[in-house]
Amino acid sequence: MLAFLMRRLLLAIPTLFLISVVVYALLALKPGDPIDELRFGNPGFTHADYERLIKLYGLDKPWYIRYWYWLSRAVRGDFGPSRRYGMPAAEFVFRQRMPNTLLLSGLSLLVAFAVAVPAGVWCALRRHSFVDYAVTTLNFVGISVPVFWLGILLIYVFSVRLGWLPAGSLGTPGVAEQGLGAYVVDRLRHLVLPVLALSSIQMATWTRFMRSSMLEVIHDEYIRTARAKGLPERAVVLKHALRNAILPIITLVALAIPGVFSGAVLTETVFNWPGMGRAIYDAILANDFNVAMVALMFISLWIILCNILADVAYALADPRIRYD
Amino acid sequence: MPSLGPWFLRAFRGLAFLGLLGVWGWNSVFGGPALNNLVIGATQEPDQLNPWEGAADTKENILALLFIGLTYFDVHGNLLPGLATEVPTFANGRLRVFYDEQGRFLRQEVDWTLREDAYWSDGTPITTADVLFTFEVQNHPLIPVTFRTFSNKIQEIIVKDAKNFTIVYKEPNPFYANPSGRIGLARFYDIAPKHIWEPIFREAIREAEAQPEKAAEIITAKFLGADPATGRDPTKVVGSGPFKFAEWVKNQYLRVVRRPDFFLRPPGPMENYVQEVIVRFIIHEPTLLAALFAGELDATDDIALSGYDPTILAAQGGGMFRVEVIPSGFIEMLNFNHFGHPRYGEEGCALARDLLLHDVRTRQAIILAIDREALAAAVFPGAIVSNSFVVRGDVGYNPDLIQWPYDPERARALLAELGWKDTDGNGILDRITPDGRKVEFRLPHVTTPAPFRVRTQELLVEYLAEVGIKLEPTNLPAAVLFSTEFINRGSLCTWPGIIEYAAGGGIGEVPADEISGELWADDPTTPEPLDNVPRRANAFAGSNVRGWVHEEYDRLHFAALNEFDLAKRAEIIKKMQVIVNWELPFIPLYERVEIMMSKVGLANYLAGAAITRTPFWNAWMWGWVERGAVRVY
Repeated sequence: MLAFLMRRLLLAIPTLFLISVVVYALLALKPGDPIDELRFGNPGFTHADYERLIKLYGLDKPWYIRYWYWLSRAVRGDFGPSRRYGMPAAEFVFRQRMPNTLLLSGLSLLVAFAVAVPAGVWCALRRHSFVDYAVTTLNFVGISVPVFWLGILLIYVFSVRLGWLPAGSLGTPGVAEQGLGAYVVDRLRHLVLPVLALSSIQMATWTRFMRSSMLEVIHDEYIRTARAKGLPERAVVLKHALRNAILPIITLVALAIPGVFSGAVLTETVFNWPGMGRAIYDAILANDFNVAMVALMFISLWIILCNILADVAYALADPRIRYD
Repeated sequence: MPSLGPWFLRAFRGLAFLGLLGVWGWNSVFGGPALNNLVIGATQEPDQLNPWEGAADTKENILALLFIGLTYFDVHGNLLPGLATEVPTFANGRLRVFYDEQGRFLRQEVDWTLREDAYWSDGTPITTADVLFTFEVQNHPLIPVTFRTFSNKIQEIIVKDAKNFTIVYKEPNPFYANPSGRIGLARFYDIAPKHIWEPIFREAIREAEAQPEKAAEIITAKFLGADPATGRDPTKVVGSGPFKFAEWVKNQYLRVVRRPDFFLRPPGPMENYVQEVIVRFIIHEPTLLAALFAGELDATDDIALSGYDPTILAAQGGGMFRVEVIPSGFIEMLNFNHFGHPRYGEEGCALARDLLLHDVRTRQAIILAIDREALAAAVFPGAIVSNSFVVRGDVGYNPDLIQWPYDPERARALLAELGWKDTDGNGILDRITPDGRKVEFRLPHVTTPAPFRVRTQELLVEYLAEVGIKLEPTNLPAAVLFSTEFINRGSLCTWPGIIEYAAGGGIGEVPADEISGELWADDPTTPEPLDNVPRRANAFAGSNVRGWVHEEYDRLHFAALNEFDLAKRAEIIKKMQVIVNWELPFIPLYERVEIMMSKVGLANYLAGAAITRTPFWNAWMWGWVERGAVRVY
């Protein structure tokens, strides 16, 4: 296992290098540069201004020179400043955006998992019951409805019509001055709708997977043996059936983990949640290369690590799997 | 089947409890008369608060809370003194222009006096030292100021004492007193606080000069990203305006509090007016509207609701909101590629040449084929059809222009005159070129994916199909469409037909400096031909991206730029409009309108007269009527 891990980790290095070259080249070669928005936002802007600023920002050099400059500093942990925000790009990504994304996407993932596993098991154990049909119907709705539309619908119902929950954003301006309790409740209230919207698809998908996986397992002979031994039903389901049935879900969760870091641009946009998805989208549109690079490279790293993690999790969950 | 009910029910009950916690959590009070504050919704957020660098109307809005320039426009478009005691004019002797015996310009002098009661928000007096420092930064080669068009005209600044200074221009600057950087100092609100910025500036320059290979990054991080620009240290954000900086939670909100020592005062006690302003940044318009109707916002800025139907908004507001429809000062236009003109020879765009876009009859046929009244009503509620590059209400607007009608018959006749006919009966006109090729009238149209522009494309397809023109619409993100690699390379056929966007058309500013600046081609004082037309020969420099050339227009343009008398300048601009109105280098579709919503009890929150139509021009007057604020406007 250790050799396998080392091999996979070593392979990750050239993979990341290639990704960085491709991403940087794509960003640099796309039409547009940071100066263009100044040109159209200022009627007095002349071509001389354009030439001056292009040179000043070092954008007159070929992309591969700029890439080499970026790489030589990136390996030392210096990802350069964000042109838009005037702060180190890494600080912007990891201190300003990543915590928000981890909170929203992580919580969504947890909620989806916490609902999907018991719901899938419940439906499998009560196949063709009213609840099974109801959950199946909700699953199809969850899978079919676009997240941004569900988000708008939730805002309309719970914010505009009922006035129960805020329409978006991280929190109410100045609420921290009202004390910790007010702050925490305010943050929770702002999380309810985006978490509900973002977790809907995963909740629905994983419930379907969990249900069908459980249905396969529950009729196996070792389950019948466990029951014949007189084990309580809870132990049969949780210790024997669920442990095997949950394997496909592990794969899905592992694949979903990188998404926790990359954010969800549509949900973040609808709920005005400043997360990674929006940061990457805005950085690319605004030609804030350093921010785009640090965010995309971090996500690439996570995708690679999560793939390795999924392989390891398989081995832990199923003793028959070996990586010798 | 065995029962697992209690176990699962517990889990579901737990989740339900969490949900209820969120739902039953108390509703925070957001703002309004109860707190005597004002919460404004905006869809755009400034990158930073640096006075020298940047674009975007929102930055102008936000900085107007914190700064005021030497002058500002009132709601009627009158230029009023801000930090200055009076606006310099010939009449008050503060403006002097010197010519030699042959009538050639020698120099221009403008005397300014700073108000005695003008202080920075930390209590430091605003003096001529701030003016000199601002100008030094503006001119430093390592500082990426946005533009130097006007500061480059300045020969020197002569300081007389702590409050009096004279700006000497070596080139004529008829816009010597206008806001938005026209004076030649900082781009945003003219003067920056020396005592705050100087240590930062000196340190950044010292480091940048020591490491020239990292100069851009040092300046970006240490100067553009310094505390006074980012608000990381609120005490460092020091301004000259009606409010004092409190906090800025990026991508969420910016909060400012009233300055009791600000020299411009509303009528009655200052306590009767809003004491705090929060600008919430909500990028998604429907979410912003939801927040407005849910009571989380008191008003919107002048940008957020662009393109929305004011009638529907008023109905949705249920009488709680005032909906203001404002002529925006921007004209939506279809710009033709003129690089098919024979003057460009082989360098030009072959497809534009095949389509005869350089022939005025083609452009006139196209404007006649479009029902612009119906189009404007359909895509931009409240918009007014335009026939000029200057908007109504501007001093330079010419009302006596041809009002191009919707006349498909005349359009067909003009196209037939040019040799276009549908020979194969497929509904698309075709013609034989001089070199014997058969070409169909397939007209590419590119614009951004903004919904109102996509709808415009759909309608244009229908209108032009009626006269046998097949419009081929495409969309590109604004970042690509307005990139120099794309828009400035019309001669390489990057956009061979029509490119649609909006451009400024006056109102309170100077039209000769706005859209007309994109239309002139050749500066007669330079040896290079067609200086302002981006071509391979000039490395695609210049703002005349259409490639339209008209000698008389150029002559008038430069005459307007050198004319100090506003009435005379307006007459020149009216003549320029007559040329453009006939030649149609672009088709003006409509004057855009902006929509602003505010709660009915909010006083003096209304669009200003500057080109951005910012409602932030008089923030010191904002107040709630029920708190005793007096409606001045």
